[in-house]
Amino acid sequence: MNSRIVVDPVTRIEGHLRIEAEVKDGRIVDAWSAGTMVRGLEIILRGRDPRDAWAFCERVCGVCTTVHALASVRAVEDALDIRVPPNAELIRNLMFCTQYMHDHVVHFYHLHALDWVDVVSALKADPAATSTLAQGVSKWPKSSPGYFADLQKRLAKFVESGQLGIFANGYWGHPAFKLPPEANLMAVAHYLEALEWQKEIVKVHTIFGGKNPHPNYLVGGMPCAVNIEEANAINAERLALVGRLLAEAKTFVEQVYIPDVLAVAPFYLDWAGIGGGLENYLCYGDLPTGGFADVAGYKFVRGAILGRNLNEVLPVDPRDDTGIQEFIDHSWYEYEGAAGGRHPWRGETNLKYSGPKPPYEHLDVDAKYSWLKTPRWKGHAMEVGPLSRMLVGYAAGNADVKGAVTDALGALKAPASVLFSTLGRTAARAIESRLAAVWGLEFYQQLLANIKAGDSRTFTRERWEPASWPAEARGVGTSEAPRGALAHWIVIQDRKIANYQLVVPSTWNASPRDGRGQRSAYEASLIGTPVHDPHQPLEIIRTIHSFDPCLACAVH
Amino acid sequence: MQTEIQPRPAAPREETIYEHLCARGVSRREFLSFCAWMGACIGLEQSGVAQMVQALETRRRIPVVWLHFQECTCCSESFLRSSHPIVADILLDKISLDYTETLLAASGHQAEQCLRDTITKYRGEYLLCIEGSVPLAEDGVYCCIGGRTAKQIVEEVAADAKAIIAWGNCACSGCVQAAKPNPTVATPIHRVLGGKPIVNVQGCPPIAEVMAGVLVHLLTFDRIPQLDAHGRPKAFYSRRVHDTCYRRPNYDAGLFVESFDDENARKGYCLYKVGCRGPSTYNSCGTIRWNGGVSFPIQSGHPCIGCSEANFWDNGPFYQRLPNFPGFGIESTADRLGVAAVGAAAAGAAAHAVLTNIRKRAEIGEQPGENAERAEAKAGQP
Amino acid sequence: MYASHDYQRVYVWQQPVRWFHWINALCITVLGVTGYLIAHPPALLSGAEASAGYWFGTVRFAHFLAGYVFVANFLFRIYWAFAGNKYANWRNFLPLTRAQFRQVWDVLRVDILQLSNQPVPALGHNAVAYFTYAGTGLLTLFQIGSGFALYAPMSEAWLPQLFVWVTPLFGSEQNLRLFHYAVMWAFAVFTVIHVYLVVYHDYVEGHGVLSSIIGGWKFMEKRHAQADPATGISGFRGRAAPAPAPGAKTPATPAR
Ligand code: HEM
Ligand code: HEM
Ligand code: NFV
Ligand code: SF4
Ligand code: SF4
Ligand code: F3S
Ligand SMILES: [Mg+2]
Repeated sequence: MNSRIVVDPVTRIEGHLRIEAEVKDGRIVDAWSAGTMVRGLEIILRGRDPRDAWAFCERVCGVCTTVHALASVRAVEDALDIRVPPNAELIRNLMFCTQYMHDHVVHFYHLHALDWVDVVSALKADPAATSTLAQGVSKWPKSSPGYFADLQKRLAKFVESGQLGIFANGYWGHPAFKLPPEANLMAVAHYLEALEWQKEIVKVHTIFGGKNPHPNYLVGGMPCAVNIEEANAINAERLALVGRLLAEAKTFVEQVYIPDVLAVAPFYLDWAGIGGGLENYLCYGDLPTGGFADVAGYKFVRGAILGRNLNEVLPVDPRDDTGIQEFIDHSWYEYEGAAGGRHPWRGETNLKYSGPKPPYEHLDVDAKYSWLKTPRWKGHAMEVGPLSRMLVGYAAGNADVKGAVTDALGALKAPASVLFSTLGRTAARAIESRLAAVWGLEFYQQLLANIKAGDSRTFTRERWEPASWPAEARGVGTSEAPRGALAHWIVIQDRKIANYQLVVPSTWNASPRDGRGQRSAYEASLIGTPVHDPHQPLEIIRTIHSFDPCLACAVH
Repeated sequence: MQTEIQPRPAAPREETIYEHLCARGVSRREFLSFCAWMGACIGLEQSGVAQMVQALETRRRIPVVWLHFQECTCCSESFLRSSHPIVADILLDKISLDYTETLLAASGHQAEQCLRDTITKYRGEYLLCIEGSVPLAEDGVYCCIGGRTAKQIVEEVAADAKAIIAWGNCACSGCVQAAKPNPTVATPIHRVLGGKPIVNVQGCPPIAEVMAGVLVHLLTFDRIPQLDAHGRPKAFYSRRVHDTCYRRPNYDAGLFVESFDDENARKGYCLYKVGCRGPSTYNSCGTIRWNGGVSFPIQSGHPCIGCSEANFWDNGPFYQRLPNFPGFGIESTADRLGVAAVGAAAAGAAAHAVLTNIRKRAEIGEQPGENAERAEAKAGQP
Repeated sequence: MYASHDYQRVYVWQQPVRWFHWINALCITVLGVTGYLIAHPPALLSGAEASAGYWFGTVRFAHFLAGYVFVANFLFRIYWAFAGNKYANWRNFLPLTRAQFRQVWDVLRVDILQLSNQPVPALGHNAVAYFTYAGTGLLTLFQIGSGFALYAPMSEAWLPQLFVWVTPLFGSEQNLRLFHYAVMWAFAVFTVIHVYLVVYHDYVEGHGVLSSIIGGWKFMEKRHAQADPATGISGFRGRAAPAPAPGAKTPATPAR
């Protein structure tokens, strides 16, 4: 007998995501992913000053804050042919690496961990054994038996209070939880430590951008001036603080995050065979080292993989009119004129709800059922995100990526094929966090070297004044947001935004199926997922969480 | 759908925040210094701090429901950045955060159950925090959760709340999605829940310590703080950024950044001429600063964009001191229009002067009035 | 037959009006110049330290000081519109009679279109001028309202606090600034035209308009001086006075 499961709200994500799934004989046979909130940013951006767009776009999301600002300033700079000074590129890269570490750590501990970690079981752990376990996987200092015993006592008291707060109604005791109590206790400790740590690393954004969430960017460079002889600018003290924060972040990633992933993964190797979904992966690449226009200089490689064929990385051109297109066959929008896809430069955003009248029990999944549009690359549904980045980098033979992936697979004693899964996605995120930690320090050293050599420029005034702009210009700003390939397309006419379209990582992954019935990544990855108890959606949110959903991003 | 070992929520025990902190290994001294710090932050007298110490020592954790509507979740993110260590603990443990989609372990029906449990069990006792605006167009279909619209949810949950906090510019004034043309009719909470007292904690996002400070105020004094005309707590929003800005002496001395990264920018001059909204923005950025006091927008070289003010998105362009006149193009500033008008007036006067010298040649230079009288006489008038 | 000797000195602008005018003109000039500087502070690329200067603060201080004087002066003029002579009377500034409208048309015909060389006889101002001054009066009210609303956050004084309600009407302080700023340009346009027209009238008609706002006297053809046929508005303290008998003395010329 088929039964329809509805998970709404999906929690521990950003935004408003609804999953409907059809279960048969304990497995999911079909699934629908719907974004249920829209704001209309693309409509709001029209007619505004292109130099302001980054601030509007940044507010698309406060979790991956900064990435939309980055994509936006790049789109405008691309349209107006502005090349930012090297220091601006380095500072942007530093903020990028910081964002990766922050977002990935918060995702793993605060958004994903409770899918794998049974908090209540931690009460039964032996603190001494927990200490042995912790010290066996890492040299992280907070690992004494006393430390874990204290934590356990506090946890017990918390549970006894009866006010369980965010842990109330969790799936504690579900048979899909496999970790021994000691591993659970260790994870709970790191949940709390990560909460403390995450507010430190973002200070890199505060130094260069003035605040976090939502640090400031600037078309033409970065707003922070560098002057090592001045109290009011980026000087030796500010730079030293950045250096310390980056070093501490690297320690946390290497001594807590990575060891935890490696310690937990062996208990869940069955999830290396679940949740693979699509077989196509897309990555725009990022972390330029010779300017945004020099794609070959990116640290994250640009390219696409079809059919899990790691022997071939296909070229991707975001300007190609027939490459990336957005469809609305199952989305609550309407296009003027011809049906079919739209390249974002020709993109349209006309809201048109046609779903059931709230309150509703089910969406009409045969018709339109989501506020996300459906992006396709040359007609293919593509998965984007850490896994795509690692696969494309690996397949392209990028030395850093290949090394990091090989290390991780070696530690797990597993073949590369385990990556095509829920577990693989979660592992890829950890792997690239380590790369971000290492690269961040590299960029930091380069910034110091530049300043030492006397280059303190952070901004170019070239084409800042609208009078210097052409009557019409088009640009595209690509980035690799923590959740995957992100791009903004802008059309500037008469010095104003004539069209602005965002195609966001979670749009790729969480979109409804296209007109040909092809599922996007979330829906595809749920097919075949075992469901122990249809009333408890633990397995569903495990796979969905492995994508790190962000629905405010996806719809915008 | 709870499993066997799910501990049944017992009747709420009267564990106080102070007891809880002790259990977390916080010393009494740390506790007192926290109270003093927080007191200073929210501008309390010494006696007020004592009252706060007492309140935190004796009061049980207050149930908190945190709703998310049209938003970017960055207010939640900001909240998590609260830099005082004990504040971070308060967030997780000292209040009982019974519902928030960002952190809740349970999803779907179990999550909805958490919400129902809290609002029925703690009727009139729970604190309602709201992040995001409520779309009112098209009967609210632009934001649905669990098949219900934001409006339906907020009205139900607000009915029995002890107090309501609107987090951030979205909930306080609609923020970016309410910018023109506001396609979804994104509406701030105070306009959806007309008549209910609401604490508007402004900012995009608000500063973490301000968010924590407002919560502590509510916990401590069991009443809402004094609010300004826009519903913002005076303790954090009574001063303009401009009045607490450390670059202010440059402003008074007329030393301005003319362009980003120019000599003046590198000396940290005032950002007024590149569009700083500090003079019309009320927030604590200049005093509390961001992320543990590390910096704030102006300190890092970017002008304030006025993110704690209503409709700040439509007061742009950001890099211009004054907004554009609505309805005119990007470059028709008041200046261009003004200069054109004065020019036209001067040109008109000049042309008129020339014309006068031609047409009234006869009258000019004669005895005043004689010409006119002759004309009058000719016309046969008296 | 030439009527040059048929002129009469008419005391039009009482001393309070003259004081008002020049204080007002000074305030507008100071407010306009300092306001412009507040909007567009000049670039000083000096190596100066902030501690060494306060010029921008001083400019703003001058603006606010002039603002207070501007208000006081304006309030006084409103009082004088009731207490002053008939040329200062409030009725002139409002469109009350048909004759006023007729005169508007006359002025357009004579001074703007220049279809006639016969000056429009007016002892005080002509109707167009009065209405224009009513307009500047509204602008003045607006600048006072918006200026003090902008000033309120910087001041604890009661006067600015009376205007805090103005800001919300404009949506935001930023928008209010924009309008306050734009009205500066309106004053600039007024000043250009006003000074030109004063000179024009003086030059063309020879009634001594230019000096009247200094000395108070105008020089009018006797007929006009005694009948003041212009607009039908006359009288003292708002009351209509009987039309002066032919040959009667000119209106009151109080001690100066
Ligand atoms: C003819 C009358 C006036 C003119 C032409 C005038 C003009 C201006 C101008 C051009 C600005 C700059 C606006 C900007 O760019 O932000 C300004 C600002 C200002 N004006 Fe006026 N103004 C007048 C009367 C007043 C009055 C009566 C007040 C009352 C005190 C006043 C108070 C202010 C204030 C508080 C500011 C803002 C100053 C600041 O940002 O520090 N103004 N004015
Ligand atoms: C050549 C110099 C000027 C002359 C001869 C002159 C003459 C006059 C006269 C006769 C009046 C009528 C006064 C009244 O009814 O109260 C007047 C009004 C006025 N003048 Fe001037 N003016 C001169 C310059 C200026 C300047 C430079 C300004 C401004 C910057 C100015 C602003 C005004 C204003 C605002 C009024 C209307 C006041 C009211 O309604 O009472 N004037 N002017
Ligand atoms: N999807 C998405 Fe984002 C990310 N990463 C942005 O581009 O999360 Ni809010
Ligand atoms: S107020 Fe600003 S920061 Fe907060 S949720 Fe809204 S857009 Fe995000
Ligand atoms: S930088 Fe901005 S807030 Fe600071 S003094 Fe200048 S104008 Fe005021
Ligand atoms: S932009 Fe916002 S963060 Fe502060 S400095 Fe201005 S209020
Ligand atoms: Mg889009």
